[in-house]
Amino acid sequence: MTSWRAPLLTVGGLLAAAGLGFIGYGLYRADTIAMAAGSTANFTVGWGVLLQSWFSAQWVLRFHDFRSAMAAVEHEGVRGVARGIPHVWGGLAVWFAGWAVIAAGIRRKPDEAEGPSAAVGAPLYPPLARFQDFHWGTLGAYCGGIFAAQLVLVFGYLASVKMLPQIGAFLLCLSAGGLIAFAGGFFGAANSKRLSTPEATIAVLYAGLPIPIFLTLLHQQPAMALLSIFDERELLAVRSLFHEVMFLSSLLGDNMPALGYWLVYGFLVLVLVLGINLGFVATSSGRVDLRLSYELFVASRHVSVFRPRLIGGVLITLLFIVVPPLLLYAIATAANAAVEMTRIQKLGLKDPLKAAAALNLLKAKRQGPTAMMTALSVGGVGVGVMALIIVLSVMSGFELDLQQKILGTNAHGVVMKYAGEAMPEYPEVMKKIGGVKGIVGQTPFILNEVMVATEGNIAGSMIKGIDPKTVGSVTDLPRYMQTGSLEGLTDPSKIVAPRLAPLNEPALDDAPTEKKKPELLRDPLIEEAPHDAPDSAKLPGLVLGKEMANSLRVTVGDRVNVVSPLGSELGPQGPMPKSRPFRVAGIFYSGMFEYDSKFVYISIDEAQSFFGLKGVNGVEVKVDDIDDTRRIMKAVRDVLDGYPYRTKDWGEMNANLFAALRLEKLVMGIILSIIIVVAAGLIVATVIMLVLEKRKEIAVLKALGVSDGGIVKIFLTEGLQIGIVGSVLGLISGLVWCLFIEKYGIKLDPQVYYIPALPVRIEPFQTALSVVIAVLISFLASIYPALKASQVEPVEGLKAE
Amino acid sequence: MGAFLELKEVHKAYFLHGKRIDVLRGVSLDIEKGELVSLVGASGSGKSTFLHVVGTLDAPAAGTMRYQGRSVFDMNDAELAEYRNRTIGFVFQSHYLLPEFTAAENVAMPALIQRQDRVMSLRRAKELLERVGLGARVEHRPGELSGGESQRVALARALMLAPSLLLADEPTGNLDPTTGEGIHQLLREVNRDLGLTAVVVTHNEVLAQSMPRRLRLLDGRVQAA
Repeated sequence: MTSWRAPLLTVGGLLAAAGLGFIGYGLYRADTIAMAAGSTANFTVGWGVLLQSWFSAQWVLRFHDFRSAMAAVEHEGVRGVARGIPHVWGGLAVWFAGWAVIAAGIRRKPDEAEGPSAAVGAPLYPPLARFQDFHWGTLGAYCGGIFAAQLVLVFGYLASVKMLPQIGAFLLCLSAGGLIAFAGGFFGAANSKRLSTPEATIAVLYAGLPIPIFLTLLHQQPAMALLSIFDERELLAVRSLFHEVMFLSSLLGDNMPALGYWLVYGFLVLVLVLGINLGFVATSSGRVDLRLSYELFVASRHVSVFRPRLIGGVLITLLFIVVPPLLLYAIATAANAAVEMTRIQKLGLKDPLKAAAALNLLKAKRQGPTAMMTALSVGGVGVGVMALIIVLSVMSGFELDLQQKILGTNAHGVVMKYAGEAMPEYPEVMKKIGGVKGIVGQTPFILNEVMVATEGNIAGSMIKGIDPKTVGSVTDLPRYMQTGSLEGLTDPSKIVAPRLAPLNEPALDDAPTEKKKPELLRDPLIEEAPHDAPDSAKLPGLVLGKEMANSLRVTVGDRVNVVSPLGSELGPQGPMPKSRPFRVAGIFYSGMFEYDSKFVYISIDEAQSFFGLKGVNGVEVKVDDIDDTRRIMKAVRDVLDGYPYRTKDWGEMNANLFAALRLEKLVMGIILSIIIVVAAGLIVATVIMLVLEKRKEIAVLKALGVSDGGIVKIFLTEGLQIGIVGSVLGLISGLVWCLFIEKYGIKLDPQVYYIPALPVRIEPFQTALSVVIAVLISFLASIYPALKASQVEPVEGLKAE
Repeated sequence: MGAFLELKEVHKAYFLHGKRIDVLRGVSLDIEKGELVSLVGASGSGKSTFLHVVGTLDAPAAGTMRYQGRSVFDMNDAELAEYRNRTIGFVFQSHYLLPEFTAAENVAMPALIQRQDRVMSLRRAKELLERVGLGARVEHRPGELSGGESQRVALARALMLAPSLLLADEPTGNLDPTTGEGIHQLLREVNRDLGLTAVVVTHNEVLAQSMPRRLRLLDGRVQAA
C-alpha cells in the first residue's frame, strides 16, 4: 500500500489539475471567466462567503430550473454560455476523479502484521490525552481583540475628536485599540497555551479584514448603497463620518484615501501578533513568567554581541561608509596574523613546545561563523536605522525649509469674507481678532492680479496692498528686503536710487534711468497714464521680488507700470485696462522662487485707490503656535460670529503641497524599512544557526530545569540584543551623519533647488520611531527561531554528539 | 501514600522504518527514599530511555509515575521544569557542560535557573567544586578540563540544588577504570552523606555489584538482578 502512495498522489494531482484546466477552458468558451473568478475570490476573502452565498441563494430562488437561469444569463448580455457547458461538466468530473485518486493515495490501512501492543489498557500519557486541536475560547479572544480594537478606534475617534485636537484624539484611540488587540492576543494565547495559528488566521481574515474592506468600499463606491443597507441620506452621513475616520489618510493626500486605514489595520494586526507571541511565551509553560535573569545571562554568552571589537567595528563601518574600514580591517588582520606567525616561528626555533602553546592560543582566538553572522546582522540593522534616520531627517529639513519660506511670506492665517467681498469695517474686525488668545500680530491686505510692465518687459504678478507699519508683525517681509525698504511705499521721498555706474563703463547699456524717458513716450500704455509728469520722485513706491526684478531688469528707483485688466474706465472700445506708474522702492528675496517671481507689494492706500476698493480684502494674522493654528483660527471665527467671515490657515492654503511631502516621507520610510526587514532576515538566519549550533546546550538546559518558555526567552533575547545593539549603533551613526551634514553641509545647485545646502532637521519623534520599529522587527524576527529552539526534544539534543 | 518513586505500567516504543520497537513494556517499579540502585542491561535494552522517562526528558506512550504521591506525568511544562530543576540531578555519559561558561558557572546554573542570587550561587558552586576536588579549576572553561575533571564538574552541578533523586547514565563509561572508581567513590559518599536516592545505569559489573539494590532491564521489563 505504502509503495503506491507517491504515484497515486501524483496521478491524482495531475488529474485534478487537468480537470481544473477543462473547467477553465469551458468558462473561457462561455465567456464567463471574469464572473467565475469574481465569485471564487468572494468565497475566499473574509465575510465574502456569506455575501456570495446570499447572491447565489437569490439566484437559485429567482430561477427554478437550469434552463431559465441560462436564458436569464444570455439575456443579460453574456452570449454563448451553452458553448462552455460540456467542458465545465467534463472538467468537474475529471477534477473529482483526481481528488478521489488522491484520497485513495492518502488512505492508510492499519498495519496488520503488528498485533495489539502490550500497552493496551494502560493510561495514555496525560499531555497527549489532554490535547485539543482547536480552542474556541482563543478564537473568541483573537476575533474579539481585533474586532473591538477597530470599533474602539473608529467610534472612539469620532467621539473624542469633538473634545481633543485631531492628532491627539487619533493617537489616544490608536493606543486604546492597540491595547485591546494586544490583550486579545495575549489572553487568547494564554488560554490555549499555544500560538494557535489557525485561530489567529481566522480572526485576522474574518473578524479583522471586513472592516477596512467595508470602509474602503464605502469610500470608493457609493454603489455600495445598492446593498441597500443605507438609504441615500444615511449614506451621506456615514461618508462624512468616514472622512473623519480617514484622518490619517488626509495627512497623506487625497489620492490614497484608504491607505491610512490599511496602515492602521496593519498596525493593529501587528500588535495582535505581538500580544499572541508574548502571551504564548509568558504562559505556555503553565504560569506567567516574564522575568529575565538567567535567560539574559545565557543569551549574552551565546551571541556575545557586547564585544568592544564588534561594536567598535560596526560603528566605524557605519560612520565611514562600508568599504574603507573593511579594507583597513582586512589589511590590519592579515598583517597582524603574519607578524604573529613570524613571532611564533622564531619562538619555535628556540623551544617548539612554546610555539605550539602560542599556536593553540591563536587558534582559540579565532571566531566561528556564528560570530561573523552576529556582526553582520548587527551591521545590517545599523545600516537600516542609519539610512532611515538620515533620509527622514533630510526630508524633514526640506519640509521645514519649505514651511519657513511659506510662513515667512504668507501669514499663518487669513480672515476674509465669503465670495471675496470687501471688508470696509476692518478696524473693528481687527480689534475683535486682537482679543483672541494666541494671536500675536495682524495686518490688513488687498490682493489682486495685475501685470507689471517696463519698457520691453512684462510680468504677470500678484499685487498685494499692505500696511508697512504692521506687516512686519505677521510676515518676514521687512527682513527679506535686500535693497531699499518698505518705508518707500508710503513716503516716495524715502526711495533712494543706488548710485549709478560710472559713465565710462559702457557695459551697462541698459542703465535704466537714462533710457527711460524716450522709451516711455513710445509706450502706448504709459501714454495713457495720468502721472505722466517727469516728476518721478512723487510716484508711489512698489516692492517686488528679486526674480521679478531680474526679469524686468529694474532696480530701486526705477519706474514700472502696473496694469490691471479689470479697469473701470470706459474707452471707445469698451473697458480700458487701468494703468498706473510706480517707482521701485525695494527688492525682496524670500528664497522661494514662487514668491520672488510673482509678488509685488504696494501700500494699502494706493491699492484702495487703484482698485477703487473701500476697505480691504481681508486681515492676515500671526499666531504664537503654528501647530495650533487650526484651533486658534476657529476661535477667531467664533469671535466674528462666523458668516460672512471665514478663515483659512496656512495648512489649508498649502494643503496639497504638505500632503505630497508627507506622503513622500511615508513612502520613503516604508522603502527604507525594507532594509531593516532584510536585516531582520539576517537575524532570523543568525538565530537559526545559533539554535542548530546549540541543540545540545538546549537539551542540557532543559534537563537542568529550564522550561520551554525559558528557552524561547533565551533566544528571543538573543535576537533582541542584536536588534538593540544594531539600532543603537545605527542611531549614533545616523545622528553623527546628520550633524555632519548640518554643520559642513552638502552643497546643492541653487539654480535647481533654490536652497544652498542640504537641509537637515532631526525630529526626536521620528528618530525614536525608527529605532523602535527596528527593535520591534528584530523581536518579531527572532520569534520563529526561538520557537524552533523550544521545540528541540531533550533526548534528540542529547543524542546529537 | 505509596513509595518515594512509583512507576506503573510505563510503556515506550520507537518507530524505525515503520517498524515498532517496544523499548519499555510496562515497567512497574518502586524505589524507596535513600536507596542506591544500579540498573544493568544489554546495549539498546532501553536503560537510557528508562532514565529519560524517569527524568521527564522523554515522554512515555502510556503509564503513570508518582513522585511522593504526586502524578508526574500530569504536570504542565512549568511544573515539569521545576521537577527537573529541584528534584532531579542528572549525570550523563558525556559531561554535557555548557561550553560558554566556566566550571563554577556551570555548577551554579541550576540555582541561576531557579533565579537565586548569582553571587551566592557562585560561592556555593565553588564550595561544591572544592568538595569534588576541583578547587583550582573554578574559572576554567569545559574545553580546558580533562574528561575526569569534566565529569566531576557535572556531578557537582547535579548536586547543586541538593536534589532528592540522582539519575546517572553510565557516568564512568568514557573514563579509565581508576578515574571511574574516583567517581564511584564520590557517588557513594554523596549517597551516604546527603541521603539522596540514586539510580545509576552502568555496564560496569563491579560497580553494579557494589550497589545495595541491583536491577536488570530485560525485554522491556525491570527485574531484580
